[in-house]
Amino acid sequence: MRLRAVSFRYSRRGPWILRDVDLILAPGSVVEVTGRNGAGKSTLLRLLAGIVPPSRGTVADRPSTVSYAPDVFPIDQPFTVTAYLTHMARVRGAAPGAAGELAARLGATHLLDQPLGDLSKGSAQKIGLIQALLTPPGLLILDEPFAGLDEQTRTTLPLIIDEIAAAGGTVVVSDHQNQLRDLPGADHWLVADGTVTPGAREASPRPAPSPGGTPRQAIIEVIVDADDADEVEQKLRADGYLTRRSS
Amino acid sequence: MTHLARFKLAAYARSHRLFQPVIALFAMLLIFYSTLVPPGKELSSYADSAGLLILVFAWAARGTLDTEPPTQRLISMTAAGRPGREIGAGLLAALTVNLGLAAIAVAMPLLHGFAATPAPGDLVRGIALHALGLSVGTALGALTSRPILGSPAAAMLALFGGYVAMLLVSLTPAGPFAVPIMPWMRAANAGALDASLPALAAAALFWSAAGITLYARLRRTRP
Repeated sequence: MRLRAVSFRYSRRGPWILRDVDLILAPGSVVEVTGRNGAGKSTLLRLLAGIVPPSRGTVADRPSTVSYAPDVFPIDQPFTVTAYLTHMARVRGAAPGAAGELAARLGATHLLDQPLGDLSKGSAQKIGLIQALLTPPGLLILDEPFAGLDEQTRTTLPLIIDEIAAAGGTVVVSDHQNQLRDLPGADHWLVADGTVTPGAREASPRPAPSPGGTPRQAIIEVIVDADDADEVEQKLRADGYLTRRSS
Repeated sequence: MTHLARFKLAAYARSHRLFQPVIALFAMLLIFYSTLVPPGKELSSYADSAGLLILVFAWAARGTLDTEPPTQRLISMTAAGRPGREIGAGLLAALTVNLGLAAIAVAMPLLHGFAATPAPGDLVRGIALHALGLSVGTALGALTSRPILGSPAAAMLALFGGYVAMLLVSLTPAGPFAVPIMPWMRAANAGALDASLPALAAAALFWSAAGITLYARLRRTRP
């Protein structure tokens, strides 16, 4: 798959989100896309997925089977998880039982009878992943897939990504939390100032320890609802921060 | 595409949105047929029904197309293989809903509304006029749906305003070449529908196709 001189803006008079982007995605590659909020990561993912056409330039040789998991799965739909996944499996022409197997693997079997509207953010994220994995994707696009996931699924997802790549699929992951930093062979793209730079990553938000000295540290007090405490703590720990809890 | 259309129809049926056009439909049918239509006037009554129910058809189409959350539309586009299939499935679902509403509008006066059973020819002409009405209504509803007009207030204004504008333009001498709502009502009332129906149908279907094409074109950059 190849992007040639791709530029994109949402309206004729709107600002350019991406300008003259040239990229090559080889089969079996895994790409981690980073960049600050609003840099254009989600727009790049939608261009790759074929959801929006480029304003200029061309996208060639996109795999025929594309899967997309959004950053926030839309739970405002009048279905149970099973009914929703059954519909999506029919649309994708997936094998019967594919949803059940994926649910078991991602620890979501207990969610199958729940209405989508009752799901927490992390649970909804799992359903978004399951629908994207119902058929083996030629191109898998994951927009911030780790947000809100429990520890077990955070561990399982890189394994699934690795399996898809090993089978020849291409995986592009917008990953603000750098969860794929240790995935061997993963490429990295940095989206900034309307361009995409292969081989670059977002600078770590954490200051590096001063040579020979004690790292400078600051304490930030974050007040959250008790129900959300586990999720927030997991996110912060996943980002490498030290957390202490008090109630 | 049919599986995705069924998904959209299932979501629409399970949501409260279906009740709005159905209630409007029955309210309008109640008004149309509050007094029995005398024998021989059935076609004129069908022509009025087909023209006035465009508003209900547009409302139902807009509701069907707006049922999916915006992010689900993105998922559906990739699941279906390409964005065009998601757009096509949405239109197919909206047409299916409107076919159901049109069937009720045609069948109800046969049960209660007409003093006598209409001639088979008039029944066929009535069905044809409702088919024109639902195609125009589906196009108007699609052009006022959320991906095209994000503000619900602006969308409702465009839907009602668009319908009134179509009615007013069809009153002018250019009426037969615009969406010919008033011309088909007049022709049916004058007993001259057979002669003018091909031209009226061509104009109505042309504008419906133009509206649907514009909708599909706009959706390319408004997923």
